[in-house]
Formats: sequence, structure tokens, C-alpha cells
Amino acid sequence: MATYIIRRLLGLIPTLFVITVIVFLLMHAMPGNAFEALVFNPRLKNAAAIYNRLVQENGLNQSLPVQYFDWIKNLLQGNLGISYSLNMPVSELIATYLPNTLLLAVTAEIIILVVSIPIGLYQARNVNGPFDVLSSFIAVLFYSIPGFVFALLLIYLLSFTFNLLPSSGTVTPGVPWSGDFADRVSHLLLPALALSLPGLAYYTRLTRGNSLQVIVADFVRTARAKGLRGPRILFRHVLRNAVIPIIAQFGLDLGGLFSGAVILEQIFTWPGMGELSINANLNRDYPLILGTTLLFAITVLIGNLLADILLAFADPRIRYD
Amino acid sequence: MGGALLEVRDLKTYFVSKQSTVKAVDGVDFSVSQGRVLCIVGESGSGKSVTSLSLMRLVQGPQGRIVSGEVLLEGRDLLRMSERQMSDVRGNEIGMIFQEPMSALNPVMKIGDQIGEVLVRHRHISRREAREKAVELLRNVGLARADEMVHEYPHQLSGGMRQRAMIAMAMACQPKLLLADEPTTALDVTIQAQVLDLMRALQKETGTAIILVTHDLGVVAEMADDVVVMYAGQIVESGPADEIFDRPLHPYTRALMDSIPVIEEERERLRAIPGTVPSAAHFPEGCRFADRCSLVEGRCRERLPELRELGPGHSVRCHLA
Repeated sequence: MATYIIRRLLGLIPTLFVITVIVFLLMHAMPGNAFEALVFNPRLKNAAAIYNRLVQENGLNQSLPVQYFDWIKNLLQGNLGISYSLNMPVSELIATYLPNTLLLAVTAEIIILVVSIPIGLYQARNVNGPFDVLSSFIAVLFYSIPGFVFALLLIYLLSFTFNLLPSSGTVTPGVPWSGDFADRVSHLLLPALALSLPGLAYYTRLTRGNSLQVIVADFVRTARAKGLRGPRILFRHVLRNAVIPIIAQFGLDLGGLFSGAVILEQIFTWPGMGELSINANLNRDYPLILGTTLLFAITVLIGNLLADILLAFADPRIRYD
Repeated sequence: MGGALLEVRDLKTYFVSKQSTVKAVDGVDFSVSQGRVLCIVGESGSGKSVTSLSLMRLVQGPQGRIVSGEVLLEGRDLLRMSERQMSDVRGNEIGMIFQEPMSALNPVMKIGDQIGEVLVRHRHISRREAREKAVELLRNVGLARADEMVHEYPHQLSGGMRQRAMIAMAMACQPKLLLADEPTTALDVTIQAQVLDLMRALQKETGTAIILVTHDLGVVAEMADDVVVMYAGQIVESGPADEIFDRPLHPYTRALMDSIPVIEEERERLRAIPGTVPSAAHFPEGCRFADRCSLVEGRCRERLPELRELGPGHSVRCHLA
């Protein structure tokens, strides 16, 4: 298993290489660059000279391959460069913003799994019953509506109308209890809920479908023939088998949840990777664009790897040597 | 038959849907005494498997329904028990094994745990004790590697080993009755003989009664004390095995026996019974075998023959017998 993980981690390198090349080319295909706006500032007398200096200092006058390999060279030394717009090392910026996104994504994942798996299982147990029909309808509805629509709806209901939860930021500024646990949780709930809703619906459907397939399996009949009772059969035999495809899907979605947070972070003014990468793109902040994209790519790839590892634990028929 | 262990009276199991009512088991009576082997023989679709599932109340609902009848285990009617009482009987007083030993075992659970589970449920012992007992049970069914095997998963065992493990599981609580639904159909011929020998040996050792459902008359000849021949949801002939083999009275039973290829005889082709079992949704008015019977007469198509006792314990459902 350990050798498998190492091999897989090494296998990520060529993939990441290709991803960064593509991002690099696309990034330069965007019109303008980070410093061009200076030229159009009427109050700058020597705008052209400043512009030329900045372009030269940041190596933007060199050919693309040279620029790319400079970036790679620095990356291998652990240096992601300095953000043009924020004037701070990219690594430092990521270290500041990443934990917020992680917190948001992990909370959303937990909400998704904790809520959807029991619901899906219960639906499958009482298939076509009133609960199944109603909750299936709601699930399909949730899944068909984009997350940011829910975000606005949640803000309207829980913040604006009933004033139950705050709608922006990570803490309440300027109060004595600013930043304590309850304060942070209350700020986290709304964006996490908005982020989890479509996934929640999807995973409920997935759990329901998988469980329905397992419930009619021969070994479930065997379990009943052994005299086992409902809950034991449902959890030990049905869920234990139904969860395997869910784990596979979970790994694939993990990276998606990160990028899914991009829009929601804007809506909730949540200072996370989404905000960072959107600003980086708007400002043509090349080092920051590359740094954030690299990180998104890594989360997707790590998610896949994590799913494969978890699968091996969940399903004894899968063995990696 | 006085002092019967299990007595089945007028058992009817229907599959009801909006479009049709399929009478899979349509009024079946038989009984098994302690230490005897009863074989239920019939083609696919004759209702033999549904009969065995009905005894355990494992017919897949909500379409499958036991409509009427009594299943008396030592005088207690299983069909009138609560689901909870019934679960105390399953795996404890009646053990059951199935046709496909691969799909009948949970693929993600260790063999030892699957066997131990029955003991924990009915004998209320700890999981550790149960696992130790599982080793012993696996040894009793002739698996020499029992101590390793308890830690293995079904996919690591061969078909024959799996069926032995199934038998160990069904026999774990020393049931009074073992229900075997086509236990050897999915196995190689050499393994078939071994599994049948094992069942015989266990039966001699423990005195448990066996109901063996099969379509294979070779298996019947080897195992049966008593035989029930089923056709289209009904019993067409029943009696002691010797009687049935020496003096088959029903044309269907004779046709079944004729369809066994005999090596010494040179035949142009195998003597198959022409036609197929009538659809259980549309049984003909008269004798259900009439369309395939070589001796059919006018009255056969008018009136369904009764099951009549023509010899000691030997009953036949035929106007001509």
C-alpha cells in the first residue's frame, strides 16, 4: 500500500506539468497584462517608462518558454513568486486564504455525508413510500438549481428576513466576542450550507440508488435467513456495500467542491481561495494565477488518490500492489 | 404423519401486481420428520424455490405474498408469528443455504464474521467467542485451513469452499431443519458430490431434517428419503423415494425420469419433455400438465385432478393413475 501511494504521488508530477503548461498558455492568451492599466493613468507623467521597467523587472518581455521555465525553476526551489497586485509572496497569500476554503469545503463535505447517507438509506428501505417520494422530489429540485441561487435564497431567508445568521465574512468585527468559536461557527454555517445543498441532493440520490441495488442482493436474503434484524442488516450488510461507489464519487467531487466554493466565496465575501483566484485573474496577476491554479489541480488529483486509497479499505476485493 | 417436525398445509404464495396474479405456489401440503431428507423436485418455474422461501417467510415483498396456509414447526404456525418471533426461528431453528454461494455471501465481510454473526444473534456470545466457534464450524465442514479462512473474504475462496462455509453458517446453531435451495446447482460435478456427502454426514451426526430443493433427479436419488414432485405450483406426486423411483405414477414424474440420459442405452436424441411449464399467471382449466402429457384425455382438460393417496404415503394428482 505504501509503495502504491508513493508511486501514485510520483505519477501526479507529469499531470501537474501538463496542467501548468496549459494554464500558462491560456493565461498569456488573455488580453493585457498586470501593468498595462498604468499607461492609461493620466496623472502618471512617465507612465511609459514605469511600465517598461515593471515589464522588464518581472521578465514579461522574455519569450513564453523562458518565462515558463523561470517559473518552474523557482517553483522547484519552493518559490511561487510575488503577487503583482498584492505585493506579497504567493505562498504567503495561499497560506492565509487556503485554511478558510478548507474549512468551508470540509464542513460542506461533512454536512453532505452526514445528512445524505441516512436519508438515502431510509428512502431505499421504504422505497416509494411517502417520505421517499417527497424527499426524492426535493432532492431532484435541489440538484437542478445552481448553488449560488440557493446562496441568495438562504441569505434572504436566514439573514435578511429572520436575522438568524450573519451573511458575510468569517467573524463579526468590533465586538468583544469577535472571533470566538460560536462567532466563527455562525459565520461558517450559511456558506457551508449553500455549498453543500446540491451535493446533498446528489449524494442522497446516489445512496438511495446504490442501496436499492444492494437490498435485493442474495447476501441480504442470506442475512435475513440468519435471523438478523432490520438495523443490523441495513447497516452491516446493505450500507457497508452501498457505500463503496459513494466513496469513489466522493473522491472525484472533493476537488470540485474546492472550485465550487469560488462563486460562493464571492457571494458571502468569504476570504478564501476563490476570492484570491478571481482577483488574480481579473488583475492578470500571473504568479498568483499560476499558484492558485496549481493548488486547485493538486486538490483534484489528491482527491482522486484519496478515493482510491479509501476504496481499498472499503472493498477487500480491491488490492494495490 | 404423526410427530412431524415441519408440516405444511395448503400453502399458497402469489405474486400480485396490477396486471396479473401469479400463483407461484398454489396449495401445497407436505411434512418432514426429524432426521429425514425430503427432496422437492421440479423444473424451473414449478414453484419449488418459492415454496422453500415461503417456509422462511423470505418471499420478496410487496408483490410476493403468502396468501394462505399453515407452516407448522413442532406445532407452531410460522405464518402467524410476528416478524420478530420469526427472526428468532431463522438461522436458529431453521438454517438455509442457497444456490449461488458467491452472491449469497457478503463480499465485504470476513467469512469468520459472517458465521459468527449468527451465533452472536442467537446464542448471545461475544464476537471473540463467536470467531473461535466459527473456526470450529469451518473445520466441521471439512475446511482444513479454517483458522486462516475466518480472516478471508468470499472472493478468496473457491465455489465449493464457499458452499461449505454457507453450510457451516446454516448449521451454526444446530437447527432442527436445514433448507437447501439448489445447493449444488452452481458447483462442479465433483464438488457437487462432496457437498452432498457433507450434508449427509452432518445430517447423520446432528439428526437434523433436510428439505432439499433441486431439479436434479441424480441428487434426489442420492439423498432423498421422501420426494415431492412439483409442477406449476402444485404437488403432482409425493411419496417415499423408493416408491417414486420404482413406481412413478404421474406421467410428469415418468417423463422426468425418462429425460435422464442413460449411458448404456443408445438414443438418437435426449428425451426432453415437449413444451414448457404454463405461465403461472394463466393456468389452464383442467390438469396443468395436460398440454405436455402424452396420455392426455378429454377429462384432463375439463377438471383439475385431486391429489389422491394410492399407496402408503404415495399420492398422485392424475385422473389416469
